Amino acid sequence: MERKIRRKDGSLRSVSYAKWGYIFIVPFFLAYLIFTLVPQFLTVYNSFFENYQDGLNQVGPNYVGLDNYKTLFTPDSAGTVRIVKYVANTMIMWFAGAVPQFVIALLLAIFFTSYRLNIKGQGFFKTVIYMPNLIMAAAFSMLFFTLFSRVGPIQALLVKNGWIDASFDFFSHRITVRGMIATMNFLMWFGNTTIVLMAGIMGIDQALFESATLDGANAWQVFFRVTMPLLMPIFVYCLITAMIGGIQMFDVPQVLTKGNGAPDETTRTLVMYLNNYLTNKNYGMAGAISVIIFIVTGALGGVVYKMLVKQYKEPQRQHRRRKGDVL
Amino acid sequence: MKKLLAILLAALMLLSVVGCAEKKDPTEANAPAKPQGKVFNIYAWNEEFKGFFEKYYTVPEGVTVNWIINPSDNGVYQQKLDEALKGQANAKDDDKIDMFLAEADYIGKYVDSAYTMDVTSFGFKNASTMYDYTIKAASDSKGVCKGVSFQCCPAAVIYRKSIAKDVLGTDDPAEVQAAMDSWEKFDALAAKAKEKGYYMTASFAETFRAFSNNCTKPWVDANNNLQFDPQITAWMDQTENYIKNGYTLTAGVWDTEKTNQMFKDGKTMCFFGPAWYYNFCMNNAMDAEKGCVGDWRIVKGPQAYFWGGTWLLAATGSDNTEMLKDIFETFTVNEDVCTKLVQNENQYPNNTKIVEKFAKDSSYGNTAILDGQNDIAVFAELAKDIKWENHTNYDQLLNEGLQNKLQEFYNGSVSKDVAMKNFYNYVKEVYANINVPQN
Repeated sequence: MERKIRRKDGSLRSVSYAKWGYIFIVPFFLAYLIFTLVPQFLTVYNSFFENYQDGLNQVGPNYVGLDNYKTLFTPDSAGTVRIVKYVANTMIMWFAGAVPQFVIALLLAIFFTSYRLNIKGQGFFKTVIYMPNLIMAAAFSMLFFTLFSRVGPIQALLVKNGWIDASFDFFSHRITVRGMIATMNFLMWFGNTTIVLMAGIMGIDQALFESATLDGANAWQVFFRVTMPLLMPIFVYCLITAMIGGIQMFDVPQVLTKGNGAPDETTRTLVMYLNNYLTNKNYGMAGAISVIIFIVTGALGGVVYKMLVKQYKEPQRQHRRRKGDVL
Repeated sequence: MKKLLAILLAALMLLSVVGCAEKKDPTEANAPAKPQGKVFNIYAWNEEFKGFFEKYYTVPEGVTVNWIINPSDNGVYQQKLDEALKGQANAKDDDKIDMFLAEADYIGKYVDSAYTMDVTSFGFKNASTMYDYTIKAASDSKGVCKGVSFQCCPAAVIYRKSIAKDVLGTDDPAEVQAAMDSWEKFDALAAKAKEKGYYMTASFAETFRAFSNNCTKPWVDANNNLQFDPQITAWMDQTENYIKNGYTLTAGVWDTEKTNQMFKDGKTMCFFGPAWYYNFCMNNAMDAEKGCVGDWRIVKGPQAYFWGGTWLLAATGSDNTEMLKDIFETFTVNEDVCTKLVQNENQYPNNTKIVEKFAKDSSYGNTAILDGQNDIAVFAELAKDIKWENHTNYDQLLNEGLQNKLQEFYNGSVSKDVAMKNFYNYVKEVYANINVPQN
């Protein structure tokens, strides 16, 4: 930004405030460069080397080209490419948690911001729904482990009521373990999403809702025609950040299944896979997995963005066209 | 008045501090010429040794002891320790590790490295009262000893007296032992117990160590190929059979479901463990309300074996060598401490003189849990045969990994082939240098 300021003698002096902007963002970019960007490149670089420890002895680094990637994508005797299985596991568990997370969060956000409902005690509810997020994921996971273990209270209760057999084990069925993980992710994150979406909705001009209602729109119409299109940028932001978090899912399943991803590795996520390689500092393989995670994240992020933002831009274009019609 | 009292109390406190300091003075007269550090750092994976250390070792005046404790599961302890050891050379004297604990499953990794130092370098001498295998385990390939063990871990079968009575008609240790002195008899007894509505063991992996510590070949061969000892496959077969017939539970060795079986209303006859098992695993049995103290007896069981053990290793670069020597001596040759370890802690110390004394002492008995049976006599007999052989640096994660993956087979969620495939994949992930069968 440049401004002309008149000096006392009448001459003009130009003052630039822009440099302050740059100065203020320098610390972030420096930190980003040192702690994020450089390590990112190093990870890619590391993925081309054989580099691990045998006991206390270092093996490598020896340049092996794409060997680490080949190992990752070599199918086993049953024909499964394991990393694909882990990507699928991660996405299934994320999706199972994210759907209720967004539905409930949207619903709550609309309730809380509705001038017609005018819910009392909002501060209390907002605090309560945000609460699970304050618990450490590992502790939350440990809690679930204890609750649902073979000697835990839930098992005892269900057996007592005759709903399940005494030999039932929550941790040996794919559906129950995945269900627990999805539930935990949902419980931990829906409060956070609600609050961000509420901020988004409150940013929309109330007059629009009122005029839509006056024009005879019902609640559904208001939601789909007014709220959603205008909320879309915030919604997409929430969705993409949630997805990035989901792809990096680690602590909840790691603690819940004691690192095994039981049963039959169906709850094993990408980062749990990566973590095993770090047991003996296998930076080569761990690097290769990290690169895959980066690519998957980038691709999915791009797809979601393209799909939703298109929808969000479309109404705007239509809107503009209609305006043109009138003119 | 209050003020006066406060001043008086403060003065008294000060006096007592000065008094203590004065008393210690004579011992400091023969202090070493080499300056000793003021901070003593110990790496460990649980609080077991810390408890004994705080009770039986008097830390020299002015020295702070730091315990850095990381859990052993999934190799976390080793990872953290390795990292610290690698930084040892560049760390400040007070930040250096002085001593760290290691378990039988991976002690070799540290002993055979430059990160541990020769115990003779600071004047410690292995005593003739120490068990040979404990010295061998702490010695590198050239025979240089790098640490000591404060315990010896012969392991046995600890059984419920009342259940044995119901199943066998007798609870006399000699007769119970006769009924399970081979694996065939043990299996037959398991069937009998089942008929009466009992479990033989409470965990699928309960008998694992009895087999695995009798292996005749190590987990990996000279060419780094993974290999299965007949003992390991025998354990797998036995367990498969036990699960199928309902002789045991699908719980892991450390699981609550297993330890709950030690309560009075538990239905399990046998548990496998060494002396540290009482304090470490059998708290439920010793529970005042729900436990069953005194309803337990100990016998050799089908196969002599040992399980675990905690070694204290001297870290290279320690500036507290005097204290290291002192600690090593306290927990191995100090007869008073070794006696207390037996009497107060139910441990089996690494001191043949003390254990023989207890083994022969007809007035001694374990009252904490065994209702006065002389368990030291049982352990002393077993300890004679312990040999240190066929160990690799990979044992911890291979033993753990095999049990974890097979547990899924035993609880019915995967087939045996899939469980083994998952195990091989796991091995490849944690140890890139071990060759696994094609899968």
